[in-house]
Amino acid sequence: MEKGLIALAAAIAIGLPALATGWAQSRIGSAGAGTIAEKPELTGIVIILVAIPETMVLLGFVVAYLIISG
Amino acid sequence: MLKVQIIGPRALLDEAVRELHTAAVVHLETMPEEYINESDFLSKLPIEREKLREKETLEKYGERLRNFRALLPQPSSYRTERVALDDIHRLMAEFEPFEERAKNLRARKDELIEELSVINKYEKLLRGFAPIVSRLGGLKNFDITGLTLEKTREDISGLLEAEVSRVTEGIFSIHVKDIDEHTLGVVLTYPRGFGAQVRALLSGKAISEMRLPDEYSEMTLIEALKQMGRRKAELPGLIDGLDGELYSIATRWYSLITGVARAIEDALDEIGVLSYAVATKFAFIIEGWVPAEAYGQLNGRLSTLFGGKLNIRTLEVAGREREAIPVYIKNPRLIRPFEVFLAALSPPKYGSVDPTPFVALFFPAFFGLIVADMGYGAMILVFAAYMRKRLAGKGKRFFRDLASVFIVSAASAIFFGFLFGEFFGDLAERAGLLHPILFNRIEALKTLIIVALAIGIGHVLLGIIIGIVSHARRRDLKETGAKAVYLVLIVSFLSLIGVMFGLLPKAFIPWSAGVMAASFVALVVLEGMLGPIEFIEALGNIVSYVRIMAVGTASVVMALVANRMGQMADSAVLGVMIAALIHGLNLMLSVLSPSIQSMRLQYVEFFSKFYEGGGRLYRPFKKK
Repeated sequence: MEKGLIALAAAIAIGLPALATGWAQSRIGSAGAGTIAEKPELTGIVIILVAIPETMVLLGFVVAYLIISG
Repeated sequence: MLKVQIIGPRALLDEAVRELHTAAVVHLETMPEEYINESDFLSKLPIEREKLREKETLEKYGERLRNFRALLPQPSSYRTERVALDDIHRLMAEFEPFEERAKNLRARKDELIEELSVINKYEKLLRGFAPIVSRLGGLKNFDITGLTLEKTREDISGLLEAEVSRVTEGIFSIHVKDIDEHTLGVVLTYPRGFGAQVRALLSGKAISEMRLPDEYSEMTLIEALKQMGRRKAELPGLIDGLDGELYSIATRWYSLITGVARAIEDALDEIGVLSYAVATKFAFIIEGWVPAEAYGQLNGRLSTLFGGKLNIRTLEVAGREREAIPVYIKNPRLIRPFEVFLAALSPPKYGSVDPTPFVALFFPAFFGLIVADMGYGAMILVFAAYMRKRLAGKGKRFFRDLASVFIVSAASAIFFGFLFGEFFGDLAERAGLLHPILFNRIEALKTLIIVALAIGIGHVLLGIIIGIVSHARRRDLKETGAKAVYLVLIVSFLSLIGVMFGLLPKAFIPWSAGVMAASFVALVVLEGMLGPIEFIEALGNIVSYVRIMAVGTASVVMALVANRMGQMADSAVLGVMIAALIHGLNLMLSVLSPSIQSMRLQYVEFFSKFYEGGGRLYRPFKKK
């Protein structure tokens, strides 16, 4: 039971930030696509902007790891 | 960078401009409008009528050359010849008959290509109509019209018959035949007197009438068919002949054409530059920027050539003008490719730090740490080296530099792969050929997190230190102090964390806490409420380096999955195929994801601590 709860907690710890990251990236991505269509020279910056929310899922991953490794 | 002013007699202006163009070190600058307006003796240099005429002629020449080049095929190899300004008019006159010849050849070629495409289009139709038309061929005073219908609109043929019957008062015949799977051919025969009405009807019904091309319009359909067959056989040969003639013109003249085009561009630049000059009654003045190391040579060159008639001197740069100093980015050849990372940002401000050397060190290091696989690294290296060789041409520098960046990064991936004992995941380890020297990335996740965070601390603190140095060099004392306090605050906070995790003795607590509190207050005083926000942001930045571990781990796990799934397959061939497929996918991700993550660590975490954009690049006035 306890093992199951730990696994569930770890799954939530990485799952929710993953959803949040995906949602944020979808918004940034669509705005970025519009930006690139008008100013292709900003492609580099847009790629970076899309990568910014990934910090959330990375931290989720670390927390999930800490939960599992106890 | 020095601000220079060149003063000379107006009679020498053209010559001086030409020399500055050849020297290729002066970034020209317009004199501020208000400065000219306030002065009693300075005025903008009026461009003489003769110059305007010359400009017009050169622009026309340029247009002619663009058209001439468009007519010719580009030879497989040519070298743009150096053409002197004085030779432009002579060479343009020499080109004239060949331009005319090329125009005629090209027009003839276009005609033949058009004819061939018309023949190809009509051939199928004509073959379909031929049997009917040969039967109707004897009719005089009758018009024969061929039509095509889409099979999906087959019902139209009934309607068409009724309409044609109404228009021609029933004197007509209609034959319908399959041309191909989509098209029906319809042949209408009607008295010549109704021609106009029938055509009006057809155009109104949006039915495509098959009209013979002009050169065949006088022939019967059968004759046209035979003639088209003959032409179809001979046209490719004729087109090849014309191509050959155009190619021989191109091989003879292309190098000169490109040379003259370049000379024209240079000459137009020299005329354009006159708008930068201001003048007094007898003298001209040109201002610009010259790198300090090039000043001596420029000065020497001008005094040798003009023997003291031209005066060049440096000007004091003060106040707001310092913001306008162009930035000259110069790096050793080895790290120059890493300047591509500046392409996404506005150029660094004059006097700030060029981050290229740091990026040249950290980008490959982070990329290598994330990929850390000898097999993947080797494949990326081979691909990047191949691309670099292929992108040898001019104008592809950005991509060639990018390939060079990946060559270095792939070498770093091989190095770290060796340290972590990875070759396509655990493939070499299974065969007993490779063993981790440092640690196994999957088994030592905690160690990897600590390593990543340590790298983050080092990188972020280095960024702040560079920021301090950059502000100190510009004697911006307030910003220097704020950055230094910011650094002390972060270090004291990190030392408290170190004590918490038992990395530092407890005796540090009162010292660290005291320094932290004092630096916090000092930061608020110097930076306002933005200071604490920046502090929290810096901590977030440090934690963000965990991505080195996370993305790297994901890559290793995927490589392991590839090997395990390959092992589970029934046959060795299938196993290798499955493993290769997953490794291929992982390899693609291994190029994309680590590049983006590593780039982000540079731009967001590192550059934000010191990089100051808003500068403008040094662009010397030089020949094309």
